[in-house]
Amino acid sequence: MSPREAARRRWARVAWIYGLLLTFGVFFVGPFLMGFLASLKPDPLEWPFTLRFAQVSPKNWAAAWRLGRAGSGDPWLGGMRPGREVVLEVAYFWPEDTPPPLEAAVPRRRPGAGMGAVFETPYAADHVRLLGPELVEKAPARLGEKEGYAYRFRLRVVYPGEGPFLERVPLDLEAPRGALYLGATLDPTRFERRGRVASWDNVVPGFVGYVFHNYVRAFREARSLETGESLFLRWTLNSFFLAAVKVITTLVFASMAGYALARLRFPGRQALFLFMLFSMMVPGQVTFISNYLVLKDGIFGLSKLFGVETLLNTYTGLILSGLVGAGAVFIMRQFFESIPREVEEAALIDGATPWQTLFRIVLPMSTPALGAVAILTFQGTWNEFFWPFVVLTSPREIYTLPLGLLSFRNAYGQVGDWGLILAGGFFSMVPVLVLFAVFQRYFVEGVSVGALKE
Amino acid sequence: MKKAFLALLVLLGLASAQTQVRISGWGGTDIAIVSGLLKEVVQPKLDKEGIRVVYEPIEGDYTQWLFNALSAGTAPDLFYVDVFWSESLFATGRVAPLDPYFSKGEIAEFLPNLIQAFTYKGKLYGIPKDFNTLALQYNTDLFDEAKVAYPNQQDTWETFEAKLRQIQAKLKDVAGLCVVPDFARFGAFAFATGWKPFDEKGRTVLDQNFRRAFEWYTGLVKRGAARVAQDLGEGWTGGCLGSEKAATALEGAWIAGFLRDKAPNLPYRTTFLPLDPVTKKRGNFIFTVSWSLNAASKNKEAAVKVLKALTSPEAQQWVLERGLAIPSRKALANNPYFQRPGKEPELNRVVFQGSLGQGGYVYPFKFLSYGGDWMRPINEALQAVMTGQKGVDQALKEAQAALDRLMRK
Repeated sequence: MSPREAARRRWARVAWIYGLLLTFGVFFVGPFLMGFLASLKPDPLEWPFTLRFAQVSPKNWAAAWRLGRAGSGDPWLGGMRPGREVVLEVAYFWPEDTPPPLEAAVPRRRPGAGMGAVFETPYAADHVRLLGPELVEKAPARLGEKEGYAYRFRLRVVYPGEGPFLERVPLDLEAPRGALYLGATLDPTRFERRGRVASWDNVVPGFVGYVFHNYVRAFREARSLETGESLFLRWTLNSFFLAAVKVITTLVFASMAGYALARLRFPGRQALFLFMLFSMMVPGQVTFISNYLVLKDGIFGLSKLFGVETLLNTYTGLILSGLVGAGAVFIMRQFFESIPREVEEAALIDGATPWQTLFRIVLPMSTPALGAVAILTFQGTWNEFFWPFVVLTSPREIYTLPLGLLSFRNAYGQVGDWGLILAGGFFSMVPVLVLFAVFQRYFVEGVSVGALKE
Repeated sequence: MKKAFLALLVLLGLASAQTQVRISGWGGTDIAIVSGLLKEVVQPKLDKEGIRVVYEPIEGDYTQWLFNALSAGTAPDLFYVDVFWSESLFATGRVAPLDPYFSKGEIAEFLPNLIQAFTYKGKLYGIPKDFNTLALQYNTDLFDEAKVAYPNQQDTWETFEAKLRQIQAKLKDVAGLCVVPDFARFGAFAFATGWKPFDEKGRTVLDQNFRRAFEWYTGLVKRGAARVAQDLGEGWTGGCLGSEKAATALEGAWIAGFLRDKAPNLPYRTTFLPLDPVTKKRGNFIFTVSWSLNAASKNKEAAVKVLKALTSPEAQQWVLERGLAIPSRKALANNPYFQRPGKEPELNRVVFQGSLGQGGYVYPFKFLSYGGDWMRPINEALQAVMTGQKGVDQALKEAQAALDRLMRK
């Protein structure tokens, strides 16, 4: 083979590898990125999909920040407080010499779906006054073939006197047919009526309120009817709580069971191990009805001793039914097998009991396996849908995040309001992503630990 | 100390004297409505009677959940029944007939069409909580811009189609109507011809009347009056109206919530569906849901009290005034809410009246116990003809054959 040929082959290999990597990268990360971008849009179903929309323009970021600060002093989440004033400027192209008649209004607007449709929040229309539009500038302009003028108007929203804090101040601006929108301090949320009405959902959004509009809505709009607290926040905390408890119980029981199976000699050890392996093969869908009935009766009536009629709709039931998974025991056992016996024999000679050996000697050596089990358990619990869905039905305050997202789908999906659902879904992914980024090493080990042999 | 003990005893006594009634429905928007209704109207009334209502909304597949819970014996005392699958549920005998608990007079206060929809083999199995029918919504902006007269209740299919054609011809980028290959919309037109989904023997015959409606509906696209919703990137006619891709839509009152979010400034109005030019009648569906009583309920008396409170005039007034749903009581036809100015009261009024005399031939949205299987052949025929894969003759022949096979089973 000539050196030329060798070089050619090498480059061909490089091209193949990078080509494949790139393809996979686009294939896996692409939808992810599109999902994220769509979750920022006011209309996530927008078709054709555009990459340039108002929420990603730095001009609007700055404007949203400024308007939020002017409205309430909070540049992040915005809103409007009494005694404040915000100014918005809008420019239109209009072919005639006299300015176009504009009609501006702060509409009374409430959400059409979900809990927002029932809660009565103060309407901005009852509290703020709209001044303008007043003409501030007129300049000759050309738009394509058409000669005309660019008119710049100023709108002032004033909140006089006393009153409640307003989370949002919507604004509608209607222009006559033939007037063309050129630009505004803050780009409108949407155009309606064939471009004649520019409509802002909130003229005091603040930076986060503008760019992450759907995320803020997820937290604000879904509230408990009983207490008024944010349901989405509640669900997130619930998921964290359950995941944390399950990680702890799994670590404790999986390490003890794994150690017993790996090291202790007792009759039926092998059979027990095989039985455990077998239980891993049975899908949850097969056993869930019997598990459900067991929880319904409070584990054969045992819970009645504690004055609890049923374990359905309780975390106790959910936690007890998933204290430890066979998979976790398996990983721990395999790892313990790989630890040299000599270490434990040394401990034995020093007079350590099996408990001491496990907790003082073996466990401190097993951090990789413990880490892997902890992370896999956390991720599994965080994403778990089916079993919590069966056990937890009401009230909505006890839902975990995946169940909450389902209820979002039911509440908002039927009216085509996908922004909230997409934002919620994306948000629920964040903890797992962070976990993965920080503990990547353990993820990989978690997969390989089970296969490890001396 | 003794006093505290006594107080505790009294409290305990009170707590045990309370009867619990569990009620369930599907989740989504209904959670907000039912919770509000319970809190503000129903529970205050029932407190005096010592009844406590526990509301358990179900997320996910409600039908599946209900059938499972009824077999497992965990079903609540009262639950929603959608008319669409009502007959297959009533046939199981797990729902208690309500005739012993309601007098003739009480039942007569509800719209007879709705009561009929929940009557199975001569017995009443549910009290309708609300309902919907189809109406025609149109975007006045687009009609003004094209200088076309608004649709009105004298319109026949022909005059209505002429208006749509003008819209589509004058505003190039707007469809007159966007059509969906779905019996849930097309059926209203088929009914207008006098066609019945089931004849006396319980069989479905796709006769000449059906064919006339079928040809008109599927031909709208070819004649330049409509476009297929999927071609416009929308899944339903309301989506097309909301995004101003079509000038009209055929939907029920559920479109109001959607438009409130999606297009709050859209100036739309509502009128009745157009008339069949031959029979001079219209047709319509009734989509409705009832509160029904569990036959295995341990406290039926209390549950019926809750049921009566949930469908009481005050409760329905509360729901109507918030524009959340359309009530099922006759007396509310003259409610001042319907006369209020604005697009939503008008929509609700037309939808309400769609179930009355103005509605013409009105049938509940149910197909004996066949459910969705019955609609499938017709939907497939609609789809095939609209996309030009098959001719009308062939599509209808195949649909008839599929229906015959289904009914022979």
